[in-house]
Amino acid sequence: MKPIGSSLIAWLSLLVMLLLVSGCGPEHRFIKGVSFKGENQITITFAGPVEETWAKNPANYKVYEKPDPDITLPISSISLSPDRTTATLAFRLPLNRGQAHIMSVKEIMAEGKSQGTAVLTVKKVYFGYLLSILLGAMIIKNFVFTKYLGLCVFFGTSQKKTTAVGMGITFTIVMVASAMMSWFMYQFVLKPMRLDFLQIVVFIGLVSLSVQAVDTILRKVNPALFKAFGVYLVLVIANCIILAVPLLLANNEYNAAESFMLALGAGVGFLVALFLMSSVRERLEVADVPPTYRGLPIAFITAGLFALAFMGFSGMSIF
Amino acid sequence: MNLSLVQMALIALAVLGCIGLVFGIGLAMAAHKFAVKVNPKVEEVLEVLAGAQ
Repeated sequence: MKPIGSSLIAWLSLLVMLLLVSGCGPEHRFIKGVSFKGENQITITFAGPVEETWAKNPANYKVYEKPDPDITLPISSISLSPDRTTATLAFRLPLNRGQAHIMSVKEIMAEGKSQGTAVLTVKKVYFGYLLSILLGAMIIKNFVFTKYLGLCVFFGTSQKKTTAVGMGITFTIVMVASAMMSWFMYQFVLKPMRLDFLQIVVFIGLVSLSVQAVDTILRKVNPALFKAFGVYLVLVIANCIILAVPLLLANNEYNAAESFMLALGAGVGFLVALFLMSSVRERLEVADVPPTYRGLPIAFITAGLFALAFMGFSGMSIF
Repeated sequence: MNLSLVQMALIALAVLGCIGLVFGIGLAMAAHKFAVKVNPKVEEVLEVLAGAQ
């Protein structure tokens, strides 16, 4: 089990690196970067000097938070650096830096001609943003303890630690595979063809497909691992977290790297929840529980206490 | 794009059918490629046993 686990982690981290590199490209040829500055400012760095009259006109900028395109944030002032390559937009209200902002810059005027319109995404440092998605799905918005999803599998497989860990790992692998497939299908097939309304049907199909594929391949490639995890594979289909994640991805318009992080976070979060719960239930076996509460009732109470404890994380933001 | 409902339904049917077909063929090929030899006697014994559980 040990060498398989470590090589798996190595592969996963390699994949994360690749996604990170691919996710950090520039968004417009004339704009080098945008970033938050202070409480209520955004700076834009241009590739060359821009015209002052254009840069200082607030009508050329439109900034809104990604989930609310209807609410344009009011700009109070714009300042341009002496070399005319950096513009700083100050806003009337403090910005919610945890949220990605979309900024459209109209008809950038530089070197006497228009450089086209740019639509940019302003985020916190990208790596930090990804990490906050990961930790958010894992702990702060743990699917089991704060959204109450996947409970039947959660109670069914949390009696023993070994079962819990096996289920958690299998779940994470299938989760990442099916979420990435669903993201791809949604972005490149369903959305362009305006078939968004079919997303649930397609996502269910993709989940069962990935479960079946993992089952078939694992049976041949690694029979030992199949013996250990094969039992849980079928249970994964019956879990609703695995369907909730693709739906969240589709609603929030996440990109590939963000989707990967959310799926990984949801999987590992489920693993953490199962592990915590199974540790407690193993101890409860030897505890003197009143007969009325023995078995599932005390497990429900424990889960409730965990959920209460996890509420302590709510509203936290990292970075 | 002014599509009638019928057209939209037909497109949806066609796309979903294609997706299903592609993945179905993929799974069938995978099952063929990664086929595991099972002792035929296992099946025979299972046939004879009562299939309640």
